[in-house]
Amino acid sequence: MISEAFIPAVTSLGAVALALGLIIHYVSKKFHVEEDPTVTLINDILPGVNCGACGYPSCGQFAEVLVETKDSSMSCPVGGSDLAEKLGQTLGITMAEPKPQIAVLLCQGDNDTARETAEYLGIQDCWAATQAYVGPKQCRYSCIGLGSCIAFCDFDAMRLENGLVVIDKDLCTGCEACISACPTGVLVMQEKKAERYFIACNSHDKGAATKKACDAGCIACQKCVKVCEDDAIVIDRFLATIVQEKCTACGKCIEVCPTKVNCIRLENDLQAVKQKKAS
Amino acid sequence: MKTFAIGGIHPPERKLTESSAIEVMPVPAELAISMNQHLGKPAKPVVKAGDEVKKGQLIGEADGFISANVHASTSGKVKSVKPHAHPGGQYAMTVFITPDGKDEWAGGLDNAPVDWKSFSREEIVAKVKDAGIVGMGGAGFPTNVKLSPPPDKNIDTIILNGAECEPFLTADHRLMVESPAEVVGGLEIIASLFAGQAKAWIGIESNKQDAIDALKKHASQKGIEIVVLKTKYPQGAEKQLINAITGRTIGEGELPFDKGCLVQNIGTAVAVYDAVCRNRPLIERIVTVSGMEISSRKNVLARIGTAFRDIVDFCGNLSEKTNQVICGGPMMGKALFTLDAPVVKTTSGLLFMNNAAVEKSRERTCIRCGKCVSVCPQSLEPWLLGNTAELRKFDEILDFGLMNCTECGSCTFVCPSKRELVHWIKYAKALVNSRQKRKSA
Repeated sequence: MISEAFIPAVTSLGAVALALGLIIHYVSKKFHVEEDPTVTLINDILPGVNCGACGYPSCGQFAEVLVETKDSSMSCPVGGSDLAEKLGQTLGITMAEPKPQIAVLLCQGDNDTARETAEYLGIQDCWAATQAYVGPKQCRYSCIGLGSCIAFCDFDAMRLENGLVVIDKDLCTGCEACISACPTGVLVMQEKKAERYFIACNSHDKGAATKKACDAGCIACQKCVKVCEDDAIVIDRFLATIVQEKCTACGKCIEVCPTKVNCIRLENDLQAVKQKKAS
Repeated sequence: MKTFAIGGIHPPERKLTESSAIEVMPVPAELAISMNQHLGKPAKPVVKAGDEVKKGQLIGEADGFISANVHASTSGKVKSVKPHAHPGGQYAMTVFITPDGKDEWAGGLDNAPVDWKSFSREEIVAKVKDAGIVGMGGAGFPTNVKLSPPPDKNIDTIILNGAECEPFLTADHRLMVESPAEVVGGLEIIASLFAGQAKAWIGIESNKQDAIDALKKHASQKGIEIVVLKTKYPQGAEKQLINAITGRTIGEGELPFDKGCLVQNIGTAVAVYDAVCRNRPLIERIVTVSGMEISSRKNVLARIGTAFRDIVDFCGNLSEKTNQVICGGPMMGKALFTLDAPVVKTTSGLLFMNNAAVEKSRERTCIRCGKCVSVCPQSLEPWLLGNTAELRKFDEILDFGLMNCTECGSCTFVCPSKRELVHWIKYAKALVNSRQKRKSA
């Protein structure tokens, strides 16, 4: 009884399935696209976060272009030199040593060092605060400290600490997503080096005005310029900048800086430098 | 009684200073004259520290087409030129003047009134430009630019805005009561620029009966019609005022002159009269000092550049409960971050409040009651704009009419969930603009 009812169903559906299967097989043979297996291989090596830091919208497109052009200067900022080596092995070329970048906050005006203006009670977002006034801190070049950039970080490398954004140097991949999220332009990209100095201040105000607004601002006193043996420090519009190509990381500038924590070392954390300067 | 067609609210009027006569404030010990007192590019300072200046002397030159001149508001010595707090919430280049106490006018200024009919059209516009006159209602658009619309635009309606729909503010009200002849004179001068074809109106809200009476006496012979408007916010917004008086609607992206209209503020009309007939630049304005937390509430005639701190001293003292100082009206004004900021040409009021609504995270989720939609005078859906901005969907938000919002604050006023709708809208506008700039760069 039961088997009799099954027979027409099984045969008809089986026939349809067979016919469709044959069509699919024919189409896949007829319209077969020859894909370079190395693209798949490269794609598997890449981090796969599609952050866009390399200039391509996705890791897949980066892989395609890399295989096609074999351009040794292309690099993935997230992967760094390990990845560059692997990519070189797979493709049989020597990839250029990538120059890893890192996001740097040019401000140290935290809740203790920066003077406050009026209390801000509106929408907790840096852009919203700048619509109302200069921001909770007197210095108009400072980190506003409401953390609009944090939401844009795909790698959990940013956090808010005492009114200042802190960037984890190990987690930051240099994808630049945070840069355009900052209304005051206090976040910049710099080359990631093991040992390096930079001026963590963004204020172009005159020395007296900077001093009035913040304890940790560059007052353009020229002391570091005079002590630097490599001529690596220049002052432009009341703000010192260290030219990275010339800097030999001797550390003399940090010793003469009167604002204590102005120049900091990248591999040390901020607190350690503060303690060193205080002692 | 005429009114605009869509939306609007009626906040408590609180016109505490409507019957107090204008008091002239003495020149303070220091004046901080901002170079950014108008819409457009800030003026370029033409004096340096140590220079002697006379009252009415040019100290900031208009830099570009949309910009305005700035003048010294008393005689004295320039102390310094440096960035200083601005009531708009930012820092701006500011000329500090130490007055010498003589208050001497520069040569050729402050003459006895002459008949404006002897001047040609070009002469009048040039005088308005030289005097540095800007819209004194709040936006600060340079008046000479507004008085020279493109030649293909036919202006047939000139409206003087005496609505003053913001609660507390009475600066324009007192000016209409105390100087009706100058108000009408200024309007006549403006109307004469569009000779013969333009009809002049003065729109006044019904809660200012004494101003209506005073102006009717002066205007009746001169073909100027006084329109009594319903007391409703935002009756004094440019687009709403045009709609109330002429019935025309200004669409998204359109300017009043596209519909043949020109709107000027009461204070601007008096400034135009002073500039043309008496050769006086814009160096002082009326500021309403009000709010519950200041000991005496006044309408003061203050020099441009007077620090708010000096105004507080002039009006007694503040109570300890003051937690917010607003520059402008309570609906559209901005909370100040410092009392060091000076009076600028657009400062209509200074309010000292104990605002219980100021507390952290009072904002709750939208319950979609639709109150904001029914009060929006621009026919927008503020809840949708607010939610879209909060979700940071800046591509979609333009389709919801973001740029058509005039930021009047009616939606924020009625929202039962205390959503900061206007702040979200301003936030979205800032981010949309910054994204467009980056795209074109």
